[in-house]
Amino acid sequence: MTAAMGVVAAGSRQHRRRQIIGWALFALVVALIPFLIADTYSPTIFGNRYTVGLGNLSQAIGLMVAILGLNIATGYSGQLSLGHSFFVGSGAYLTAVLVNDFHWSYLATLGVVVPGLFLFGVLFGIPALRIQGLYLGLLTFAVAAVFPSIIRLDEVADRTGGSNGLLIDSDLEAPTWAPLEKVTEWLHAIPGVGSRVPEGLTDRQEEAVYKYFLLVMVALVCFWLVRNILAGRVGRALVAIRDNPLGAAANGVNLPAYKTLSFGISAAVGGVAGTMLAMHSGFVGPDEFGFSMAILLIVGLIVGGSGTLHGAVVGGLAIQFVPHWSSQTQTLPGTDVALEGPYGTAILGGLLIVIIFALPGGASHGFRKIKSRLMPVAPQPPRG
Amino acid sequence: MGSLASVLGVFDISLDKLSDGELWLAQFFRGLSDGATYASVALALVMIYKSTGFINFAQGSLALLGVYLVYVFSVEQGLPVAVAVVCAMVASAAVAMFIERVFIRPFPPDHVLPLVIVTLGLLLIIDSAVGIVWGFRTRSLPSMFPRGAPIEWGIAQLTWRTIGNLGTVVAVVALLYLLLSRTKVGLAFRAVSSNLESARLVGIRVGPTLGFGWALAAAIGTLGGALVVPDLLLEPSIMLRVLIFSLAAAALGGLDSMAGAVLGGLVVGLARNLLVTFLDLSELALATAVGVILVVLLVRPTGLFGSTRVERV
Repeated sequence: MTAAMGVVAAGSRQHRRRQIIGWALFALVVALIPFLIADTYSPTIFGNRYTVGLGNLSQAIGLMVAILGLNIATGYSGQLSLGHSFFVGSGAYLTAVLVNDFHWSYLATLGVVVPGLFLFGVLFGIPALRIQGLYLGLLTFAVAAVFPSIIRLDEVADRTGGSNGLLIDSDLEAPTWAPLEKVTEWLHAIPGVGSRVPEGLTDRQEEAVYKYFLLVMVALVCFWLVRNILAGRVGRALVAIRDNPLGAAANGVNLPAYKTLSFGISAAVGGVAGTMLAMHSGFVGPDEFGFSMAILLIVGLIVGGSGTLHGAVVGGLAIQFVPHWSSQTQTLPGTDVALEGPYGTAILGGLLIVIIFALPGGASHGFRKIKSRLMPVAPQPPRG
Repeated sequence: MGSLASVLGVFDISLDKLSDGELWLAQFFRGLSDGATYASVALALVMIYKSTGFINFAQGSLALLGVYLVYVFSVEQGLPVAVAVVCAMVASAAVAMFIERVFIRPFPPDHVLPLVIVTLGLLLIIDSAVGIVWGFRTRSLPSMFPRGAPIEWGIAQLTWRTIGNLGTVVAVVALLYLLLSRTKVGLAFRAVSSNLESARLVGIRVGPTLGFGWALAAAIGTLGGALVVPDLLLEPSIMLRVLIFSLAAAALGGLDSMAGAVLGGLVVGLARNLLVTFLDLSELALATAVGVILVVLLVRPTGLFGSTRVERV
């Protein structure tokens, strides 16, 4: 098959230009989407009405960051962690309590959540050093199951709300300087595309759009930081530990230090994800962060592509939208089956197995393959 | 003495409770009964781990399916409970064999992580399938054993159920031992567990042998479920809790030791009941199980009776 575009050398000017165009397109899409779906986008397919709401998208962004964190411990350094929901839940509850009882702003809580969860992850990582492979998976799975019962403990229930969950009494109103209203008007005035954009934003829509941008910013910072950490010495050490622990140790990688570090970073990113989810929904409940979430995050990690950053994005979208759309399928074409409730989980389970069978590298591996066919890049030896 | 009392006070322990012999005995019996059920699901987990080297996270879900089949055979079809349990064991064994053939065997057996992930997928699928077919309404399941207690000391009762649960586990272990040590298929199973490649070279049909292991494990898991559910109510999430306690039991005993699984089950059952009663930790029943796993794994990373793997570089 001939390539749709010519081969370019990695690092050449054409390659740079292509990358810049790609990122610009990405930025444009990310910036425009909230306005396009501020009035929930709802296509009808085979008589079923599906919705793509801004709320779903914001939730998916939180889940992307959660998967990003899991990716560091499991995807990159190869330690099976089925308890990531514990870190996410801790971050969410920490934020909720700080906002409710101490009247902090959401973003300020990150100043406690990130170092706190990092420390917690390191503390968790130290016993994990002695426990390997499946035994670790088993222990983390049990830890995930315990989180809801810790939240329900009588001793902490007056702060955490116990079984009822906790409504966070702080709204995220768009600040007056944010020109969301103006941008909406401009976009609406564009012929053609403009018809999809509402004439003006209601207060609720404005809040949702503002929240979306806030979450996108936090997510971008997380992805950027993690990318930088993983692109350097730490990332190489973690991948070496995953691929061959003995070989890594023989080459001077300090296994215990890097393994605990990976748990620390993983937990800190997970905590940020928790803050984001709390920010998005303004509510935290104990059962949200039980082991069903832990398993869903693993599903997202594998479906998106373990050990890749793009994978976290695809995975977050998948575990948010697959169950959502499944529950909106009121009549499966050709039958009168409604795919409500547990069907969504079953479909995710099926997807997980199909991906492991057919595309072990996950969806991002598949995209990369297609991309390298359409826009091949010739690798260049490093200079010097 | 004063300091001891203050320490106990922190945990809300009353000395009355601690010196109450009947309460001890009552919780001891209850612990044995729970422990027996955890032991049987842990046995199922160990069967799979021994032969294939991975943990089947769908084991609890297979047991869940089995228990719902018991419900169908006994309550809906009106069979005697014991007969219903046997039918359900056979049916869930068939399902497990099918699952092993379709979802597990296509993967290379020496690559553990994808297989574990597949079992997580199976967990999601089976649990939600049970929810779809039978709904989320709670139901009560009759027990195989009569009500009442032949032996009583005050509030401490040795019920027929406790005796039955313990007896069943002892019988399962005995039968399993005979099956593995005295039959040809048992010999094949042990050969495959100890060295898959060599077993294949001497002409053992590895695939069907592993399928047999899956079937056996599912049948044992179903039996364990049928023991535990009558104490609780039947609903689709019930086996997840049991799975955690059984995982704790298996980890405690060592993932590749059957005797360890039984002992681990009993210890977890006892620890759960005694600690929860005397330390007043009713919300923390699961957490005590996790604490048990953590402590044991820290001291002995392969459990009490697990064999250490020696790796050749």
